[in-house]
Amino acid sequence: MQILQYILDLGPTVMLPLVIFILGICLKQGIGKSLRSGITIGVGFVGINLVIGLLTDNLGPAAQEMADRFNLGLSVVDVGWPGASPMAWSSTIAMVAIPVAILVNVLMLVTKMTRVVNVDIWNIWHMTFTGAIILAATGNFWFAIIGVVVHSAFVYKLGDWFAPTVNKHFGLEGIAIPHGSGTWSAPFAVVIDAIIDKIPGVKKVNINSSKIEERFGVVGEPVIIGAVLGIVIGFLAGYPVSDVLQLGIQMAAVMVLMPTVVKFIMEGLMPIAEAAQAILDKRFQGQQYYIGLDPALLLGNSQVVAASLIFVPLTLVIAILIPGNQVLPFGDLATIGFFVSMAVGIHKGNLFRTVISGAFIMSITIWIANMMVGVHTKLATDTGNISSGQVASLDQGGAPITFILKELFQLQNLVPLLIIGGIYVFSIIFTYVQFKREKI
Amino acid sequence: MKKVLVACGGAVATSTVAANKIRALLKENNIDADVSQCRVSELGSKVSGTDLIVTTAKVDKDYGVPVIHGLAFISGVGLDKTKKEILEVLQ
Repeated sequence: MQILQYILDLGPTVMLPLVIFILGICLKQGIGKSLRSGITIGVGFVGINLVIGLLTDNLGPAAQEMADRFNLGLSVVDVGWPGASPMAWSSTIAMVAIPVAILVNVLMLVTKMTRVVNVDIWNIWHMTFTGAIILAATGNFWFAIIGVVVHSAFVYKLGDWFAPTVNKHFGLEGIAIPHGSGTWSAPFAVVIDAIIDKIPGVKKVNINSSKIEERFGVVGEPVIIGAVLGIVIGFLAGYPVSDVLQLGIQMAAVMVLMPTVVKFIMEGLMPIAEAAQAILDKRFQGQQYYIGLDPALLLGNSQVVAASLIFVPLTLVIAILIPGNQVLPFGDLATIGFFVSMAVGIHKGNLFRTVISGAFIMSITIWIANMMVGVHTKLATDTGNISSGQVASLDQGGAPITFILKELFQLQNLVPLLIIGGIYVFSIIFTYVQFKREKI
Repeated sequence: MKKVLVACGGAVATSTVAANKIRALLKENNIDADVSQCRVSELGSKVSGTDLIVTTAKVDKDYGVPVIHGLAFISGVGLDKTKKEILEVLQ
């Protein structure tokens, strides 16, 4: 036990490389390759800690200044999925959560409860994050595992329900997208689509533009989003021009460096990913199965690209309008399309409807992310990702499934739980009915 | 020296898998190439000087260079065909 505690105390940057090295040996990857994978994942953690430091040390105080000067609440920086996923991976629950999520999938496949074969090990971070948040909130390891199990089972079902949309609208045959920010938000879009269908006049509105990307494509580039936000917030914070410009370049750097360093974590996970894929491929293949993959596959679709561009400014406006909101959207803005990607398919590429359901989705997301700031910050501190300040994330810190499960184990926000839980459960049941009627 | 750009939604998960497999494939076939990753939204500005784009996301836009859908690197379905397509463009 003492040895185990000693290893845990070394922190994720040392512990995970050790775990990955040992796993690599067990999976017969050879000493050299296992060593390389292990060290690479450590490199990823060191890198992301540096970048999150750059983000929270510079944008954090500027956002605080801005908030004080204009009486705006936006003082907690959204670290986005590139910031949130390493926190999930470096939580003590991570190495248990991966096999648990795979096991839930296998059990559901064997009992024919799902057709989704999830070969995408990376996105298990979403389920892991739910577990890590519950662990940070309650300190109870078993509650956290229950959270991972429920979240996993739920998203595999979502994968089944939205597979027809992925196959028909996006033309990705045999693929399901059982996780990530695009799929959990989709039940809301199903309900909103049905409501719009009932409103005379409005139901006929159809905007379908490929011009947006040509005209405004540059706006969606991460460097531009980073620089513009840095400059605007520095300016609003009342910084001198020299500091404003520096903040702009620093934030452009954060946007570019985040995926670059997180990539190393993915590289380190490759041996596990390949082994899991090999096992799943051998047992479950053929017509009756969907291959479960990353929502990144949807982000090339031109209507999703257009929606992504619209939602960069729109999400910021929503963040300002939500009463009492402290979360400043940042890290997720460059990939904001994830949130509305499946909605685009449900609305059959109609941008008008995507903007309406997307605005609803982002409002719920920001509302939840704001309530999760406390526990998210605790998780980030526990895993050593930050040493001071507060953090939030839209993806996965703003997801209803994570919020509802966390509240069920540690009730803090009863009224929001009833409202969000009520709307979400209704949307899920409605989605299931529509799926059975073959309307999605 | 050929230049290959591998893109996915967030430049982390699927493009890392695809890029690693493409690097191995090119090494096997003695093709000297620089394989780099980016987000789909960055393709437009990074495309100059590139010989081939491989995306795991389905991209509708024309970038003026060959675009190969690299989903097979992730799903494993039709992998040999995709590998052949890549080699044909680069050889």
